[in-house]
Amino acid sequence: MQSLSRERTESTALPDTIGKKSGGGYWGRFPTVARYAVLVLALLGAWQLYVSLSGTQALILPGPVDVAKAFVEGWADGRLASATLKTLCIGMVIGMAVALILTAFATWTKVGEDLLSLLTSMLNPVPAIAILPLAILWFGLNPTALIFVIVYSITWPIAINVSTGFETVNPTLVMVGRNLGLGGWRMAGDVLFPAALPHTISGLRTGWAFGWRTIVAAELVFGVAGKGGGLGFFINDARYFLRIPEVFAGIVTIALIGILIEAIFNAVERRTVIRWGMMNG
Amino acid sequence: MLDTREKQGLRCGYPLLSVENVKLGYRVNGHTNVAVGNAGFQVWPGEKVMLLGPSGCGKSTLLKAVAGFLEPEDGVISFAGRQDLRPGPDRAVVFQEFDQLFPWRTVLENVAYPLRATGRSRDEASEKARRFVELTGLSHAVDRYPHQLSGGMKQRVAIARALALEPRMLLMDEPFGSLDAQTRARLQKELNEVTRRTEVTVLFVTHSIQEALVLGDRVVVLGHAPSEVREVLEVTGAAGDLDSKRFAWTRRQLCNLLAEDGEEVDDAVFE
Ligand SMILES: Nc1ncnc2c1ncn2[C@@H]1O[C@H](COP(=O)(O)OP(=O)(O)OP(=O)(O)O)[C@@H](O)[C@H]1O
Ligand SMILES: [Mg+2]
Repeated sequence: MQSLSRERTESTALPDTIGKKSGGGYWGRFPTVARYAVLVLALLGAWQLYVSLSGTQALILPGPVDVAKAFVEGWADGRLASATLKTLCIGMVIGMAVALILTAFATWTKVGEDLLSLLTSMLNPVPAIAILPLAILWFGLNPTALIFVIVYSITWPIAINVSTGFETVNPTLVMVGRNLGLGGWRMAGDVLFPAALPHTISGLRTGWAFGWRTIVAAELVFGVAGKGGGLGFFINDARYFLRIPEVFAGIVTIALIGILIEAIFNAVERRTVIRWGMMNG
Repeated sequence: MLDTREKQGLRCGYPLLSVENVKLGYRVNGHTNVAVGNAGFQVWPGEKVMLLGPSGCGKSTLLKAVAGFLEPEDGVISFAGRQDLRPGPDRAVVFQEFDQLFPWRTVLENVAYPLRATGRSRDEASEKARRFVELTGLSHAVDRYPHQLSGGMKQRVAIARALALEPRMLLMDEPFGSLDAQTRARLQKELNEVTRRTEVTVLFVTHSIQEALVLGDRVVVLGHAPSEVREVLEVTGAAGDLDSKRFAWTRRQLCNLLAEDGEEVDDAVFE
């Protein structure tokens, strides 16, 4: 039964029949992973071939092998991304906590609701990086300023989405909960929170994307000022000392971390809201 | 099934539910929009009472008040001797909407969770959930999520969930309202079967004469909003015996009552 129903769910996802390209028969028969792996290898090969044959200076365009070497070294000695990821994690946790408090306040009181909608409509349009000069003024050129900007950048999207999620919980489900005599905490944990999960996940997704772009940009600014560590600093430092493979390695790292986190969000969604039919896959 | 005379015999003692001169309304822009003007009826233990009336006459409103979601403007609702009605699992509700199941729980979990939430042990909850899912003919779908079920299956899960709670009274708000005639007839039969086995007391909202007669022991007929109880009719004869004379008389009565209200009478469905 289990396998049967799973088959049915997958067959309703339909991209194969609707988005079918003509003439893609042979290529389309391989699994997705294999198709993408082949494409990536082909691109890397073309890159290496161009570098080897055209005689471009390695200073301007290093080959993929050099970049890979710089990438491995950068990760091995921890200069590449560990500081950035640490700052980002701290920022995410604080930002989520702030968003949660704002949302709880907005869900339970009218003042909170008005405050949240006022703050988000005023502050959400201001890109977090525009706050950086102010943060530097307040906290100096140090990680605290970075964390402040990240918290700022992720709080609004998370708070908006989560509170929308709570507001739009299906009233019938709330009545079912009340019919069972659920108390406040049980109602929140067992009914409201799972019902708001699709919005919560999309809020976290947007928040993370904002935070990630912000931290890289902010670190580049720090890098120009010659202070601190992290990805942006790494890239800028490498540019200054003409270690071009490291510049490339930094950019590749940004892309890879972005892809990885997206993949994690996708996996969480597939296992929860998509599986429960609360969101389309 | 109990004979009418036996039923009437049971009706001495105290009613399980008593609704007296109840007025219900909704506050809209400062003034009260009265939905139910004056309702009064009683439900004795083991009975199946149907609330029948035209659309918008306040049937759902009345059921919500019995469930404790709504306070009467006037009058008294008392359930098992209590008058402070807060929502509770002793009056399990089956709603009209298909989306009353928790989408993140499987069929089995949807039935088991309320049992856990009302204090049953894990083992008892899962054993009972299994039994009631089976009773409503869904054993083949226990591990499916609600979005993988048809509308009729969802309503059966909701009924299983309510029955498993072993409520003192089952409140059902047109649970088959948006189903096709065939599925509806089948579920009505199943419900009759299940309520006969569990001897649960039922208050059932419908706007279909056919449904009221097939399922009910008594029918409370409501008029247009602000509604009053127009008539309380006994449904005599076993539900299966649709040809008996007295039964036909009851049906005619109901048709007349609703026709006076200008309601489209669904007699055709009945034949
Ligand atoms: N939440 C609400 N706020 C204001 N008025 C309401 C609300 N719910 C219902 N009403 C009004 O109360 C009256 C009775 O509504 P109710 O839902 O009880 O009717 P009903 O008999 O269940 O009808 P139906 O058979 O169509 O379900 C209607 O006039 C409706 O407009
Ligand atoms: Mg209704």
